[in-house]
Amino acid sequence: MRRILIIDDEDDIREVAALSLEAMAGWHILTANSGASGIEIAEAEQPDAILMDVMMPDVDGPTTFRKMQQNPAIAHIPVLLLTAKVQGVDQRRFAGLGVAAILFKPFDPLTLAEQISEVLGWSSLPAQPDISRQSR
Amino acid sequence: MADKTKTDSPNEDIRIMLAELWQRHLPALHERLNLLDRTAEEAASGILPEPSREEAQAIAHKLAGNLGMFGHNKAGDIASQMEQILKAPTAETLPELAPLAQSLRLQLAPSL
Repeated sequence: MRRILIIDDEDDIREVAALSLEAMAGWHILTANSGASGIEIAEAEQPDAILMDVMMPDVDGPTTFRKMQQNPAIAHIPVLLLTAKVQGVDQRRFAGLGVAAILFKPFDPLTLAEQISEVLGWSSLPAQPDISRQSR
Repeated sequence: MADKTKTDSPNEDIRIMLAELWQRHLPALHERLNLLDRTAEEAASGILPEPSREEAQAIAHKLAGNLGMFGHNKAGDIASQMEQILKAPTAETLPELAPLAQSLRLQLAPSL
């Protein structure tokens, strides 16, 4: 089963993203409300990917990503940044970071799992057998 | 964790859970809308103190990012317009906040 860490200071975003990814893809979701706690959880849990908000108080997403890149324990984990629709300079700033992808808010809860699977090259089906689906 | 087999459709499960989440977050939404109303009123003269500006910009940013998840795309766009004004306000653009705040409430009214 894929394990995704969601890092966002907004309760709404974490909850909606978590329920979306659990319901649509069957992934196991970890959450953190700050970059600092996200790094701790990533070190301990080694998720398959990290979905992280750009704009967070204290330490923002790009800064947290740079810290992750300097940490050999978690530098290999693909990171997708989640941000409000941006233009011009901001897009170039994020593109130069080296993240796996940039996803835009507001996201569609019905297609978020598919978006993440596509950019990471994962199959869009749940990793575990879905008994309810097999019985149809 | 929610029961994924509540219905036969993950899409329907998500819609049900989103509706529940929306209800749970309504009190916070009301606070945010009230803050934007107060800020718009304060800004009507074309001047806005920095603490008010900063707080309102953060709120508008959150709404711009959140409302669309619940299907309120037009309301999210209005919040985004307010955020852009609050990012770099001028004496000419600040008075635009009041009608935008009003439009935001109108868009969300059926769901509040």
